Amino acid sequence: MKRSQRQTTLKRHSRRKFLKAAGSAMAAGAFGAYPLRGWAADPVNIGGLYPVTGSMAQIGVGIVAAAKLAVEMVNEAGGIKSLGGAKMNLIISDIQSDTTVTRTETDRLISSNKLSAIHGCFASAFTLIASEVAERAKMPLLTGSSSDQLNKGRSYTFTPFARASQFAKAQLQMSKLVGDSPKVAVIFENTAFGTSTSNGLKELAPGEGVEIVMFEPYSAGFADAGPLINKVKASGANALFSVSYLNDLILIVRTVKQVGLNIAINGGSGGFVIPDFYKNVGKLAEGLQGVAHWNHDMDANAQKVNVEYKKRTGDFLFEYAGGLVAQTFMIADALERAGSADPQKVRDALTTLDVSSGYAAMAPGGKVKFGPDGKNIYGYPVGVQWQNGDLASVFPKADARAPLMKT
Amino acid sequence: MLEIVAQAVINGLLIGGIYALVSIGVTLIFGVIKIVNFAQGEFVMIGMYISFFLATQFGIDPIVSLIVSMPVLFVVGVLIQHFLIRRVLGLNDLPQIFLTFALSLLILNLALMLLTANYRTVHTWYSDEALHLGGLYIPVAKLIAFVLAMVLSGLLWVFLHTTDLGKAMRAAAQKPEVAMLMGINPNRVFCVALGIALALAGAAGSLLMPFYPAYPMVGQVFVLMAFVAVVLGTLGNVVGALIASLMMGVAESLGIQFVGADSGLIVVFMMLLLTLAVRPSGLAGGRVR
Repeated sequence: MKRSQRQTTLKRHSRRKFLKAAGSAMAAGAFGAYPLRGWAADPVNIGGLYPVTGSMAQIGVGIVAAAKLAVEMVNEAGGIKSLGGAKMNLIISDIQSDTTVTRTETDRLISSNKLSAIHGCFASAFTLIASEVAERAKMPLLTGSSSDQLNKGRSYTFTPFARASQFAKAQLQMSKLVGDSPKVAVIFENTAFGTSTSNGLKELAPGEGVEIVMFEPYSAGFADAGPLINKVKASGANALFSVSYLNDLILIVRTVKQVGLNIAINGGSGGFVIPDFYKNVGKLAEGLQGVAHWNHDMDANAQKVNVEYKKRTGDFLFEYAGGLVAQTFMIADALERAGSADPQKVRDALTTLDVSSGYAAMAPGGKVKFGPDGKNIYGYPVGVQWQNGDLASVFPKADARAPLMKT
Repeated sequence: MLEIVAQAVINGLLIGGIYALVSIGVTLIFGVIKIVNFAQGEFVMIGMYISFFLATQFGIDPIVSLIVSMPVLFVVGVLIQHFLIRRVLGLNDLPQIFLTFALSLLILNLALMLLTANYRTVHTWYSDEALHLGGLYIPVAKLIAFVLAMVLSGLLWVFLHTTDLGKAMRAAAQKPEVAMLMGINPNRVFCVALGIALALAGAAGSLLMPFYPAYPMVGQVFVLMAFVAVVLGTLGNVVGALIASLMMGVAESLGIQFVGADSGLIVVFMMLLLTLAVRPSGLAGGRVR
């Protein structure tokens, strides 16, 4: 309804116009989805697609909190100055942790609002779908999702952070922190996620001088990790890469402790680097390693945002949520330079984005500039380790903010 | 090599104890009431959450909270039998299947709504401890769970063989019509049977809590193995289900060790098919006890 009705409204009598505007303002209050008109410049709408309900709700809610914080920060700093100090207005759409819903919600979000850009969706499986829809609608999309697929044949999708292939490489290099000749056991759940991630590790291992002594798929959701860890023990590995979701990982970590196996565990990214992981695993998580495209101890700006986020939510600013704050400032930067809320112009401004300071540059290495494939040409991941209930950056050397804790 | 095999057998037996508690419940219900309870896994889940909340709110050890979860689920079982299952008995099988299946979906989705899909763990002093014997290790939490599972199974056997109610239950299982003629009130016996079966599921939940995370779908992990054990150990046979559960735990563990970590279940189902081919009515040869 929204756009067409508003256009006809404008032509009508002024009192009617007022009534309608007042009505829609009230509707906006009720649904929170309709942009409020300020007295000064029109606000600039940006959309966010996240799983606020369903199996990934916990993470989605944490991400949305960061998205709101970021928009407030932009507005408090004066909004978009080249647009007369226009405020940024965030419109969140719930993709319900479901691929079908992601498609319809992305469509709905873009077609029923006047947006300048969108960001989403946390999990690559959802982002791939949203990105397809956004490409067709010629709507710029920023994402922290890591699938390399997002950089193929797309011209409106921008990925400011490290790619999945880079994660694998960093993980392999991290295994050398433990010893000069790492013997790695790779165990992975036999799903698309587990198989593709572990195959990436296997392909890159010889080039990095890492020996893989065990490469084993397992059925996700097992009752007992004992037999699997028994097998890891027999392989003689001194490092364990576990490509697993939370439930299996909890059992694996506990079993390793029970067996008394002296092995450095690297859990990769995603569910491994969120506050919930530590809440579930507790003290056993201490010393576990992972990789992330963002960490809150990277620079002074990141630490500042982390403090504010912690105040609001009680948790530290985790990988995806922190990256999203940077993304919001990248959009603001593009809007500023474009001097227009038109998505096409915002997209063009993103292609020439080149930042090395401020909140938009909060990324490992501190620089963001997009190549023709939408990839940040400076992007790379950081290696992290759980230390005292917090995630500390420990790899590579230039980004290490704490020494590696030996386990 | 011998050590690896021994460890695999230990792992298998320990988890088999948990499978046993779930499958004994299923087989008891089938043997006595002649229905298949598809919701058994969900009652394990309820048992886990009871222990979880008692542990986090009142600091009660999950193993100790068994004395709460078992009676609570016993009462739930009696109520479900009296108000739901009793209504569909004697009709054909379909309403019974739909009833327990609907119950399973209802409980699962209620749990998702009320408790969210998050994983919840309880950490006790023995959660991560293990006894080390030579190169072998026995996790303490699983050992406690195994021993208590065997004790509860033993108590059930004693109950079925020495008490009047237990004998009535076996009688009702063998020949319900004759049992009724002998003055046994079937509904009362059925209520107790479902109560006991659910109490066992609750016990399984409490015993799992120190070493397994609780989440709404957790019942599905254990119920599949339980159903296989029930068929393998002859439908309705409590001792058969117990032995079959332990065998399956070991088969799964050896399968993971020597076939592949994603094919542990292949060994289990091969075992099931072979057994059915040789002894179509299960290992116990069709005897219901």
